[in-house]
Amino acid sequence: MATEPASRGEAMNTSTNETNPGASTPETSPSPGPGTREAPGNVRLIGGEMLLWSDATALGGVTDWRGTALELAGRVVPADGRVLLVGPHPQALVDEVAGRARATSVLLRSYPDACALGERHPELTIFCGRLEALEAAEDGGEPYDLVLALDGLSRTHSAEAPAAAWAESLEALAALVAPGGLLLLGVRNDLGVDRFIEARPADREGADDQWAPHGFDPSYPGGPEALDAGLETAGLSVQRRYAAFPDRQAPRALLSREALAFDLPEALTFALSAREGERMLVADPLRLTRLVFRHRLGEQLAPLWLVVATRPPLGGDAVRPVELPLGLIEEGHALYELTATGARRLPGGEERPIPAGRVVEEILVEACAREDVKTVRELLAALAGWLEAGGDATAATDSLVYDGRRFAAVGPPGPAPVRQEPRVVLCRILWRFAVRLLAAGHHHPWPWPLEADQLTLTLCGMAGRPCDQGDLDQARKLDAELGRPAELAEHAPAYRDLLGARDRLADQLTAALARISRLETKLSYRERELVRAKAKLRRTQRKATAYRRTLGYRLSRRLARPRKVARRVIRLLSG
Amino acid sequence: MGHGNRTGGMMDESNHWYGHSRILGRYCGMPEETPRRIQGFLQHGWNYLHGFPPNDHWCSPGYPRFIWSDVLRRRGWSMGRRGHYLIGAPWIYLLHLEPDLGVRRDRKGTIWYPFHGWEKHSVSGDHARLADEIRDVETGPVTVCLYWLEYANPDIRRSYESRGFRVICHGERGSRWESKGRDFLRKQLVELRRHRRVASNRLGSALFYGASVGCEVAVYGDPMQFEDERPEYGGTARRMRLWPELHGTSVDPGLAAEVARRELGFEYQATPEELRRMFGWKRMREGVPSPGGAAGAKRPERRKAAAHGDRARLTG
Repeated sequence: MATEPASRGEAMNTSTNETNPGASTPETSPSPGPGTREAPGNVRLIGGEMLLWSDATALGGVTDWRGTALELAGRVVPADGRVLLVGPHPQALVDEVAGRARATSVLLRSYPDACALGERHPELTIFCGRLEALEAAEDGGEPYDLVLALDGLSRTHSAEAPAAAWAESLEALAALVAPGGLLLLGVRNDLGVDRFIEARPADREGADDQWAPHGFDPSYPGGPEALDAGLETAGLSVQRRYAAFPDRQAPRALLSREALAFDLPEALTFALSAREGERMLVADPLRLTRLVFRHRLGEQLAPLWLVVATRPPLGGDAVRPVELPLGLIEEGHALYELTATGARRLPGGEERPIPAGRVVEEILVEACAREDVKTVRELLAALAGWLEAGGDATAATDSLVYDGRRFAAVGPPGPAPVRQEPRVVLCRILWRFAVRLLAAGHHHPWPWPLEADQLTLTLCGMAGRPCDQGDLDQARKLDAELGRPAELAEHAPAYRDLLGARDRLADQLTAALARISRLETKLSYRERELVRAKAKLRRTQRKATAYRRTLGYRLSRRLARPRKVARRVIRLLSG
Repeated sequence: MGHGNRTGGMMDESNHWYGHSRILGRYCGMPEETPRRIQGFLQHGWNYLHGFPPNDHWCSPGYPRFIWSDVLRRRGWSMGRRGHYLIGAPWIYLLHLEPDLGVRRDRKGTIWYPFHGWEKHSVSGDHARLADEIRDVETGPVTVCLYWLEYANPDIRRSYESRGFRVICHGERGSRWESKGRDFLRKQLVELRRHRRVASNRLGSALFYGASVGCEVAVYGDPMQFEDERPEYGGTARRMRLWPELHGTSVDPGLAAEVARRELGFEYQATPEELRRMFGWKRMREGVPSPGGAAGAKRPERRKAAAHGDRARLTG
């Protein structure tokens, strides 16, 4: 991690040709020095631009907004108003906003990013520099009807000037919002649930973008209420505040405060924890996030907040009516809007109630923790019955809820796979569960099948649908076809997982040693038994030999022989 | 060779007592005559500790303990035991296999199981006095079922026979290699199904077996004592505290059946495939997808021959 920013710097050098570092001091000179790439005509340098910097590389940590932000932005972009995007935004979002608004401007600190965007979108006005310099540069230009700063304010600073406090930046940002206009601001929560589980917090690693370290700014909002207060101080009033999950880097769900006040169904909240990326974690995010919702701390511990705020209109002007969704949730490629009574798929889907019940995987994990094999048998048999009656073949224990009578899929059904026997479909579901169960280090009652394959076949047996190795191979193929790997296994293990795994290994070793010594004892016993039996055999043989040598035995044989010969002769004559 | 199996090499010998392993083998569709080794420890009798005797050091960790009911698992866990796996009593598998064996409409009389010692511990008690008590309580014909050790003792037998009781024995509990105990539970099932009532001086497997096939239950008479009864069980007083409703000359039959269902773990009946995998009976076929059937079919033959050979030599 520490070496990557350096390589980024090198890459930048090659992409901007031969930059002469001494040639321009951006704060004083509005035009880049000789040797720097020629800026497109729509890029205006406003001071504080960073010539050798890019926020566009994936590792920069720019918030990877997708469907939810696109949907929300689509709803708030005024068709005839002016829009400003502050800070780096994903390309799709910029394209969407640029396509909808009458006039769009963008503020970026990175010169190469600004040039690239300017070339891609010649119709945009691109300001390149730091946020605080924009107002001055605009020469009292009109404020904007919509300001989007979804990545937050940290990437509106420039290394060319001391970093402004969060409140100051917010003030500068708020000044750009027209009366009656809207501001969409993303704010990362320093106490977000995703922070709890990081073994090495990224903002303490001293990467190249940490010239002003994060975490020491007293004006940075310490909670949802502080955020609201900050916005009010800046002259804005909050219209709706969303908690974004599962993490600050790639938010996939927006839940408003109003939505979080409900007892959200598990089918909804289970999907809101994720383990993405290669980072070392302290704990499995799933368990922690489940607790966050159970404790109704979704707002306080959200990895990121997204606020929609407005500057009160002057005089008697009415606020532009904007219908803000209660919540937006992405699941794969599907986007859902949360409503008061259910959810509807966007665009234009019908409203449906969210299925009630507990996530099947959690029921099973609980049963395993209790060593309650009876529940496991019953639930798996019910699941098998459901599949045989035409249940969704793409389902998995982590995407199904069960209310005691019915199974229901949490998300939309995936692309239908090639028709498979229900047995194989069940086998795939159980294999996936087995992999996840073992990878997560949950306690379970099965002593022998310590590897996922054996456990899967045992589980199939418990469901009353025995499978063999061939079925399992097919099931694995089906899983690959469905393209949702049983994830957990591929990621860097969490610290707690490692500790758990170490303890498990110690236990297994103890058990293995006990088994070995038991088998050794048994072996010695059997060997003794064998020796004894052999000796007995030898004794018997010797006795038999001695007996054969006795006079009586030999006499009786002699006497018997003529009789035998006679019998044979008679048989020959008669036959 | 006796039954010195606790300290000797045959540590999992108890898996094969009373024909348990044979019943489970049949349930699992195993073709062999000689039962396979079970990789783990079967609880072989009703028990109110953790499914095994207090000195269960022969149950090596790392091997599963196949037990009858969840309370044993919880108690065992609290006492440092791990690796419990609930499958219920072998009895429930026998009932599954033999729903009709010995079923009669005209059930009569009482089958009485005096508490028995075993090969290493005898019980002390006065059988004659017990027999008198039985005669006073029971109204119908009485069958007294003795453990083979007591059955072999003419004095004990006489004390029951002299009061006009029929005295029987289900046989020895047997071993893996001998056919002696193989039909123990079947015989017991047939006997229980011909009697209307089952009684004993102590709560025990037989009583619950009886309750599970519709017998009325009674527990009365001198509970007798093991010569060195382990204090871990808590003695007769604890049984009285735990199951006061099951003690007495007449017991609510519905309640007794309910307790029997729980104690014998009817809810925990495992599927044959699950048992095959848990017992380690599946292993050798693993990794040989198709031709394994032929190889697997041969193996039992060879085994049988070896077993016969063993027996021949041991008895010869």
